[in-house]
Amino acid sequence: MFCPQCGTNNPDGVVTCTRCGRDFRTVMPTTPAAAIPPGYPAGVHVPNYLVFAILVTVLCCLPTGIAAIVYAAQVNGKLAAGDIAGAQQASNNAKMWCWISLGAGLLVCVLYALLIMLGVMSHRSY
Amino acid sequence: MTGFSRKHGALFTVLAAGAAALVALRLFDPATSGVFPPCPLRVLTGWYCPGCGSLRAFHQLLHGNLRNAWLLNPLAVVSLPFLAYGMASHAVFVVRGRYLPRVFLPASWIRALCVGIVVFGIVRNIPVYPFSLLAPGGPGLR
Repeated sequence: MFCPQCGTNNPDGVVTCTRCGRDFRTVMPTTPAAAIPPGYPAGVHVPNYLVFAILVTVLCCLPTGIAAIVYAAQVNGKLAAGDIAGAQQASNNAKMWCWISLGAGLLVCVLYALLIMLGVMSHRSY
Repeated sequence: MTGFSRKHGALFTVLAAGAAALVALRLFDPATSGVFPPCPLRVLTGWYCPGCGSLRAFHQLLHGNLRNAWLLNPLAVVSLPFLAYGMASHAVFVVRGRYLPRVFLPASWIRALCVGIVVFGIVRNIPVYPFSLLAPGGPGLR
């Protein structure tokens, strides 16, 4: 289940959150109001990964980052409509596309480094 | 919060990598040195992407040159404070268990932002006067 305090996706059946230690047996109605940013639907926090989505879109310049932003929009849209399960689904998708983008960006960096090294070596040997 | 966790380790790694990247970005100009990889889209297609020029812009910002940074990528300059706050918010969450104060963005705003980024990426490729200002660099660059 998703922790109502920090949004971590915990394995089914756990009693406390694996990340923040929140006790799931008692939490549902007692989430402190101060922890919820203004404008959030009551008691739930579903991360939308918007910051990371924009970062990977701009720094890795990949269309997969756009997919992450679209899912980030879906998270907030479904939250506003009260569809928590849908928001969590979209949140997972946003997270996945962020990681795909980051992986692809890093892959490009590694390939670039390899090409540079090959270039340097061939330069030296001729 | 319980002691030093995997999340703390991850945060430390990210901070160390970020600091190293900032030092490298301050020392080497992506415009003239081969230290930083080029934009894959630019290499493969010759088109500018919405992020093209952002590394060079951050290099200029690290040298206090806002004007050059703006000419290289205005989108990067405008979005930097918001992205920095968002990242700081996540870092604070790892350490203190709660985010910095945040605003709930309506989905329509995020979609508009997404369209804005894509349109910026398209428009800066048009080599005609008002649009050409958005391409990285240009005659005003010092």
